[in-house]
Amino acid sequence: MKLKNYSEKIINVFKKNGFLLSEPDVLLDSEYIIQRSGENFRKLMLTFEDDTGKSMCLRPDLTVASCIKYLKENSKATSKIFYSGQAYRRSSNPKEKIINDQLGVEIIGSKKKVADDEKVLKTILKSIDKTKIGNITIKVGDVSLFEKLIESLKIPERWKMRLKRHFWRPQYFEDLLNRFETNSDVDPMAIDLDKKKFSEMKNLDQNKEIANRRVSEILSRFDRKIKDPRSFSENKKVVKIIREFLKINCSIDKIERILKDFIKKYKLSKNVLSDLTAIKNLSKISYKTIFSPNFGRDIEYYTGMVFEIYNSSKKEIARGGRYDGLLKSLGSKKNISAVGAAINLNNLKK
Amino acid sequence: MKDLITIGLPSKGRLKEGSINFFEKNNFKLTSNGGERNYFAQIEKLPNIKVIYLHAKEIIQRIGDGTLDMGISGLDLLRESAINLQKKIEVKKKLDFGTASVVVAIPNDWIDVQTVADLEEVSFDFRDKKNIRLRVATKYPNLTNNFLVSKGVTQYKLVPSLGATETYPFVGSSEIITDITSTGKTLKDNNLRVLKDGLILKSLACVLISKKKTKILQPFLNSLI
Repeated sequence: MKLKNYSEKIINVFKKNGFLLSEPDVLLDSEYIIQRSGENFRKLMLTFEDDTGKSMCLRPDLTVASCIKYLKENSKATSKIFYSGQAYRRSSNPKEKIINDQLGVEIIGSKKKVADDEKVLKTILKSIDKTKIGNITIKVGDVSLFEKLIESLKIPERWKMRLKRHFWRPQYFEDLLNRFETNSDVDPMAIDLDKKKFSEMKNLDQNKEIANRRVSEILSRFDRKIKDPRSFSENKKVVKIIREFLKINCSIDKIERILKDFIKKYKLSKNVLSDLTAIKNLSKISYKTIFSPNFGRDIEYYTGMVFEIYNSSKKEIARGGRYDGLLKSLGSKKNISAVGAAINLNNLKK
Repeated sequence: MKDLITIGLPSKGRLKEGSINFFEKNNFKLTSNGGERNYFAQIEKLPNIKVIYLHAKEIIQRIGDGTLDMGISGLDLLRESAINLQKKIEVKKKLDFGTASVVVAIPNDWIDVQTVADLEEVSFDFRDKKNIRLRVATKYPNLTNNFLVSKGVTQYKLVPSLGATETYPFVGSSEIITDITSTGKTLKDNNLRVLKDGLILKSLACVLISKKKTKILQPFLNSLI
């Protein structure tokens, strides 16, 4: 089947399921994207300067472009949209394509989270059904479960934040675990040296700013830092719990029992991983579905349920998830819930 | 007739002095026909060698594009240059002058920040509490990016600087900087402090050659280094 035919069939499914066409901008302000994603994202973007010297980029991602459009339109209502277009992103892997044809759906601003998660996944599955690809596998996970697990562990606050922040960078995350396990982050000398300066600074105007940070902010972080335990005896045990959790890989209908056993084995608080509504709801789907908390860890903006769909040759043909924090990081004053998914048309070819 | 060799040497400062001394120590005397400002020179008794004085950064560019066959420049400038350029250049010898370090420096009064791990936390505070990115002023965007990301600092924005980078945090153009320093005095005088693990690169002057010209250069290099 030709790509165009796939595309028509998929769009029909999107429309039948109540999604309306949206056409996000192709050109975006690079600085705006860098503000959200950080400087390192720049090397993935295709950028150029316009004739006024402003840096522009081709949209690296249709989800981000759709959210920018939603914010521009200043809509308060729930937006249920689909898009069909190209995303442009460089990769360090020369085999990967720069231009990807994507078809996707997004539900932005709705409060019915569990139902929306299911709606997005089901719509994507129905669309793939129409392409008659068959023999697909689905992997699901839930980022919020990892965050709940970390919160429940008895480790210094600083480390909790660090582990949560770097979940998205598996290699660096592994470095962090190793450092944590060996307690190699301790530097009591550095703290003693500055206690004198601390007393001096207490006498300054607390609202005075030093390179964009108030004196009070600097002192309160210093204070927190010296009170946070610097050494910790149970590091090895904690790291083992995290590693074992990330190793879980089971059929979705077994997840409840497996998590229960996990909690029992490591004597964790019973209600840590008890809210499985979002995941259990997805087990109604009549496809082979695997639950793994350790996948899709390359997109920073997911906050809840995540999924990926593979064809028989293990190529990823669709992915999506919940991203409740993205719109705020793009400039919205409050959190706006959102969930979406995209089909990678180029990988649909048999 | 022997192949003509073109050498680029730094046109000013400590790198220029050091380069001329290095040649003279190895019994190659540089002569120039014009005045002090002449950009061209020769090596006594070696008419097939042409010397051009250029900006240290440009020496790397010109070895890369084949205008120069070899030259002397800073390791910092080589490592900062584009990867495809670096692939064309070989570091033939590290010399004993032009030593300096590229470092991450922060305002001295940020007493809660001692290590890059602290900086990582503060950068997330900027994002989560102020909804802005920590700004890093630098003349070394590539080295800075690679260093910060490898240490887990991802939430920042670079501010390109051409000079007097030390002033940036105190005029509101950035919060922290990365810069090159040899004694640390300029940083200290400007109320900045290097992070304990904030060493990005130890730099020094190097003899650089174009990989394509290795064969032609070999006889000359044998007597120079």
